[in-house]
Amino acid sequence: MSGAAPAIEVRDLRKDFGRFQAVKGVSFDVAGGEIVGFLGPNGAGKTTTIKMITGLLKITSGTVRVEGLDIREHPAAARRKMGYMSQKFSLYPLLTALENIDFFAGISGLAPGERRRHAARIRQDLPEAVLRQKVQDIPPGIRQKVAMFVCLMPDPGIILLDEPTSGVDPEARRLFWNDIYGLKTQGKTLLVSTHNLDEAEYCDRILILHNGELIAAGEPDELLRRQGKADIEELFKDAIHDHGQN
Amino acid sequence: MKLRHLVKKELIEVVRQKELLFLMLVSPVIQIIVLGYVVSSDIRNVPVGIVNLSGGQAATRVIERVRRSPLFNVRFESARNEDSLDRLKKGEVKTVIVFRDALDRKRGASAYPEVQVLMDGIDANTAMIASGYFSGIIKGYILDDMEKKGRGLPVAARPLFRFNPQLRGINTMGPGIVAFLLTIITLFMTSTSLVREKEQQTLDTLLMSPLGALEIYVGKALPAILVGLVDMLIGLAVVVLWFGIPFRGGVPVLFLAALVYLTAILSYALLISVLSSTAQQAMFFSWFSLIIFLLMSGFFTPVDNIPYPLRLLADVNPMRYLVQIIREIFLKGNGIAYFWKELLAMGAIAVTLVSISLLNFKRFISK
Repeated sequence: MSGAAPAIEVRDLRKDFGRFQAVKGVSFDVAGGEIVGFLGPNGAGKTTTIKMITGLLKITSGTVRVEGLDIREHPAAARRKMGYMSQKFSLYPLLTALENIDFFAGISGLAPGERRRHAARIRQDLPEAVLRQKVQDIPPGIRQKVAMFVCLMPDPGIILLDEPTSGVDPEARRLFWNDIYGLKTQGKTLLVSTHNLDEAEYCDRILILHNGELIAAGEPDELLRRQGKADIEELFKDAIHDHGQN
Repeated sequence: MKLRHLVKKELIEVVRQKELLFLMLVSPVIQIIVLGYVVSSDIRNVPVGIVNLSGGQAATRVIERVRRSPLFNVRFESARNEDSLDRLKKGEVKTVIVFRDALDRKRGASAYPEVQVLMDGIDANTAMIASGYFSGIIKGYILDDMEKKGRGLPVAARPLFRFNPQLRGINTMGPGIVAFLLTIITLFMTSTSLVREKEQQTLDTLLMSPLGALEIYVGKALPAILVGLVDMLIGLAVVVLWFGIPFRGGVPVLFLAALVYLTAILSYALLISVLSSTAQQAMFFSWFSLIIFLLMSGFFTPVDNIPYPLRLLADVNPMRYLVQIIREIFLKGNGIAYFWKELLAMGAIAVTLVSISLLNFKRFISK
């Protein structure tokens, strides 16, 4: 990694919901232009951590810096640098895909000309008939594509994707990761949470979260070599097993 | 203007939900017509029984008046007093009127019979009103009789009912129903609005956008205000055209009152939405609130009848002021000069609710 400030810097991040500790002092960096995979079973604290990074969830303690900006001190400025796609793709089911795109472009403050350009661009990727359907009636794979398009419209440098491939068929997943790679080549920084372990191979680095704690971090190959494991699944299972016994 | 996009989105969502659209446009008409006929204090065809133990003409004439009155439906007439109480118990009649000759100590039988009215007190409202109607019949008979005999009463009250001369219950209820309509649609629509965004996780995307908390808040309230005002117009048309209720006041002042009221009620609805975890919870809480608002609004019974400390709750109920203002506009043709205090009270409630609601909304989005 270079000496430049990381795109995302997380230090001793904690989140308590009453007496329940959802995230227990997590620290990591995401360098600019990196794809980082956030792995962990359901309830590990992935979404909570991502939401604290975006400022959507109040931090109990610790710090998050986005390109050097403290999310608590400069939430609006930090958010302008980020794009976020939630688990449910965050589209309005009663609006058509095109209406969703126009709406999110509009509230992002994009000028009418820019909005039209975006609409023209999505038309190159998806058939007009599909785009004119209500989002609730289109398949998850296309919904995911539209949600990703919406997320990228304001042209953020840092993209946080919360389980973007859940409920999507394998072919759509493969195509999706192609797009992620395309974004990396454009210099975008990506933090992608997933519980599909095979997706770890697409990442430059992986972070394994379990019960709110970061239990492993590093490049997938390096982690496998260091731990002497054959594949990510074995690494993941053993890491969780070992952590559970501690 | 980013807010415009949010308002447009909200309106598209309303239009796309056919069931909701039906509820908003057609149900007000049905509700007003049904409520207009059902929720009325007018009493007609009260089933009565008559027991005539009097041999005098006075009793016969009063009975004739009772028979002719559309307010009473004479179910039986008997010269014996045996089973009248039993019929009252069975619910065959609500009232039994017993005429018997009053005993005049000097002359034997009196010129006027003694009248006993047995009422079924379970339906206290009907009993009270029917009792009043019957007293009116007796009083009318006595006055006519005395006039015939060339004698007048030393004091006679001749009430003149202004603003609602025929004392039509629907004239009082109709404007109140407009206030009710303004509440029901907007309260339900808005209270589920934010919580639905939470459930869909679209709220996260909204919050990640450059839209500020105030813009989101206003963007949620504006479409509901629009829908509320459209509903109010529909309601107005129905009560005026269908029920023939006079509208003597000005439309602009009615809209002003409605706007102040909607600000209050929508802030309350947004507060419900912020505090609820699911749309179901929000719906339940809205129902609960609506019933409290309605019962404490003077819609059914005068607010003055509400005892302390519940009266304090009625005083902070915005619907109470709107019901009063709408009735004044409709029936008396009053302007702001007559109800500025109520308007001010409603405005103060609106400002308080907006502050509490906005504060909670800001706290909620940064939790």
